[in-house]
Amino acid sequence: MQRRLPPARSITLEQKRLFIFPTAAGFLFLAMLLIMLLTAINYQNNLAYGLTFWLAMLFVIAVHFTHANLMKLSVTAVAAEPVFPGQQSAFVLQLDPAGRKAGHHAVQLIWPKAVHVVDVSPCCSERVSLYLTVAGRGWYTPPRLKVVSTYPLGLLRCWSFVYLDARALVYPKPIMAPSVRRAVAVESTTGITDTQGLDDLAGFQVYRPGDPPRHIDWRSWARGQPLQTRLYASQSQQDHWLDFDDFEAGTTEQRLSWLCSRALECEKLGDDYGLRLPGFEIAKGKGDRHRERVLRALALYGIDGGDS
Amino acid sequence: MTAEVLPRRALWWLLACHFFVVLPHLTRVPWWLLGVYIGASSWRLQMHRERIKMPAKSIRLLLAIGGMAAIFASYRTLVGLEPMVALLLVAGGFKLVEAVRVRDGYVLVSLGFFVITTQFLFDQSLPAALYGVIGTLLLVTSLVALNTSLHQPLRTLEPLLALKMLTLAVPMMLVLFVVFPRLGPLWSVPSKTGEGTTGMSDHLNPGDVARLSRSADVAFRVQFMGPIPDSTDLYWRGMVLSSLQDGVWRTLDWRDYPASERQLRRPKLGDGVLDYRVISEPTYQQWLFSLPYATSSHEAVVEAWDFRLMAKSALETPFSYRVQSFEPIIIEPQLSPWRRRIELQHPVGLNPRTRAWVDAQRAVYQDDEAFIKQVLATFSQQPFYYTLEPAVITENDFVDRFFFDTRQGFCEHYAYAFVVMMRMAGIPARIIGGYQGGERNPVNNTLIVRQFDAHAWAEVWLDDRGWQRIDPTAAVSPDRIRYGLEQALQSSEGFLADSLLSAYRFRSVSWLNWLRLQYDAAAWRWQSFVIGFDSDQQFELLGGWVGKIDAPALITLTLGSGAMVLMPLTWWLHRSRRGSERSEVEQRFARLCAKLEGRHGIARERGESPKAFRQRVAKKLASTEPLLRELDQTIDSLYRSPS
Repeated sequence: MQRRLPPARSITLEQKRLFIFPTAAGFLFLAMLLIMLLTAINYQNNLAYGLTFWLAMLFVIAVHFTHANLMKLSVTAVAAEPVFPGQQSAFVLQLDPAGRKAGHHAVQLIWPKAVHVVDVSPCCSERVSLYLTVAGRGWYTPPRLKVVSTYPLGLLRCWSFVYLDARALVYPKPIMAPSVRRAVAVESTTGITDTQGLDDLAGFQVYRPGDPPRHIDWRSWARGQPLQTRLYASQSQQDHWLDFDDFEAGTTEQRLSWLCSRALECEKLGDDYGLRLPGFEIAKGKGDRHRERVLRALALYGIDGGDS
Repeated sequence: MTAEVLPRRALWWLLACHFFVVLPHLTRVPWWLLGVYIGASSWRLQMHRERIKMPAKSIRLLLAIGGMAAIFASYRTLVGLEPMVALLLVAGGFKLVEAVRVRDGYVLVSLGFFVITTQFLFDQSLPAALYGVIGTLLLVTSLVALNTSLHQPLRTLEPLLALKMLTLAVPMMLVLFVVFPRLGPLWSVPSKTGEGTTGMSDHLNPGDVARLSRSADVAFRVQFMGPIPDSTDLYWRGMVLSSLQDGVWRTLDWRDYPASERQLRRPKLGDGVLDYRVISEPTYQQWLFSLPYATSSHEAVVEAWDFRLMAKSALETPFSYRVQSFEPIIIEPQLSPWRRRIELQHPVGLNPRTRAWVDAQRAVYQDDEAFIKQVLATFSQQPFYYTLEPAVITENDFVDRFFFDTRQGFCEHYAYAFVVMMRMAGIPARIIGGYQGGERNPVNNTLIVRQFDAHAWAEVWLDDRGWQRIDPTAAVSPDRIRYGLEQALQSSEGFLADSLLSAYRFRSVSWLNWLRLQYDAAAWRWQSFVIGFDSDQQFELLGGWVGKIDAPALITLTLGSGAMVLMPLTWWLHRSRRGSERSEVEQRFARLCAKLEGRHGIARERGESPKAFRQRVAKKLASTEPLLRELDQTIDSLYRSPS
């Protein structure tokens, strides 16, 4: 079936994509019709015949209506935000109505563990975000999306499996780099080393968890002031090279995780940082776009279809 | 089935339609069932307000068993249609309390459809059918309400959608109704008790017929193929009451007949033929009413050995039968000794004064016909009164008391006294129970016979002339026969006392009367073409279209007509889709915008014109980008498209 319905960014539900079958309620309804028919036959009652036939034909009409409710509805994968493993990525889907006056009612978009029910009015496109928990570094491709509707009577279920060309970028899981590491500040003398203490004191800031203990201004704390961290002039200008080959131990995944953690650390400190992966280098920089580039490079390291 | 919580709107619809479909049943089931429904729905509503919880399963089980026991106590049985319907309603009531999930909603809707079906088993009249249609509409509306999401931007008018779907289902329903083979019953089913039905019974006590005059209910309707005969000839013969025991007249059961008598001595048919169709309301009895001497070609109609028509089974639904009546005719020119003995039986030793009077008159009038004339003359000349409320006679000497003392009576009193006197005089005689006259409906040339037209008269057997009809009431009150009961009564007395609101009472208001007759004509058409539609009519109708009717022809007809109805329907549904508010191009443009936003982060602003958007995109993308070219083409056709 996968071959029959190839993935695409935008899919319009057509006749051949739509399947229809009675729901459990539909089978209950049909069983009731059978009982009513037997009643009509055994009591030779024409009005009972009439009601039975009427409801049977209602069922046939409902096939058309349920089908028409999904027919020509377009599903487009708009975007998905990059996330860290274990987090939920919001997949944004856009539903474009066919022009039918009635619109599309109670359309269920189903991914395992993510269900969304949406009504699409005939005039406008409808955007929905489905949150999927992702795992593993690289591209996360969600399973086939099931578009379901039982509207209007709930006696029939019309559905279609949609292979959307939607994928979310998953960064490596940030793991604190091990303390056992080669001279951290490889290039020149930068890095969080003893040398820091020699820099000029630039000011104080309120202590935030994670600040190096040796930068805490214990003296003021002893005077009863709130805990403060000393800031050094050079710290804001420190620059780091995050190099894949810095680590002696660790598998590729571990190293990527460590690098990821450090990149986030640098970003948090406001330092410039660059990335060196085997055969690939990102020049130093900082800011959201730089962070994005670095994390993307880490996420896609060694993965085919790389930087598309 | 879904385990989601029942939406509030659907709950309201379900409660409303269950009350609606159950309501008409309350006339046939114990009154406390209404209490069950009111209790169940108020409990359910309090549950909805989270004031109380659903009763525990054990309590629900106890209540259900209690309900069953109460029904058994009311009916003394659980077999039979009424007790079964009552059980169904109890189940429905308890299900209302349990209706929490969406799937309970579906169960309730299916139950509701079945309740409507059982409704039709009791009443197939035009109003009942309309009521059923409204009930169906409400139930389908509940189905729609179960399936619309709670916070939808699209407001659906559930009843309108239900109406639309049901309307679209009508043509196919009609096709199936006509084409579907009418099979005989597959197995025997519980029958109705018919309690509370007014009508003739198989025995006659003085006062029984008078009681029927309190009701304006329709007994049966007749359509003549020719002109309607004069009302003095409209004696609708139903029961032949030959046996008098303990002051009660009864019909002869087939078990009363000795083996030698179990045969029909068909008379030679005369020339005068009356051709008519009778549609009888359910009587829960087997006898049928017809003008003498009647034959019917209907397969479910048999002729009894005393020359009356009977249905093979009790009439639980309206029954339509075609009759041919022949006149003049000699019925039973020779009376068998057994028959003579039966038709001469009368209580020995009772009524001594009448005995003496009959013996004295018989001495003067030796000839049978002369004697009959003398008795009738006595009725008309002596101060006998025709009244609905005669003095009650409790003594065994009924004829003595009536003939000499009270002298007031209704038709059955006169028939009773007359037949006993005939039998005392040695003339075989019996009482005939049935209806006399009827109202003519000029709209469709039918005759409407009502309960108050009930009548009792006599038949006497004369040598060489067979059974002859004698109506002693005609001697007392000729107006009764010529103009009907209402004209014959001095005052309105107890006439129509039980039918206070019957439209028949308002005949003097001309437009109401016109409406009433129009409605009655519609009821006739409904009964003859819808309720009475059977395999005979089916073959007649379909035979006219396709010639020979056999299984392949029926299947072809079903499928062919199905396709003929469904294809336009499919076309219609597709057409409404093509007349779209959003053209193909517009949709393509919307999808393209989504693509651009996803790949390049360029989002179209609300209200931004396509051209302005194109310029913005062009600034950001390389001119070689394929999406840009696609956008150009789409915008091009967007501006060229007629809308």
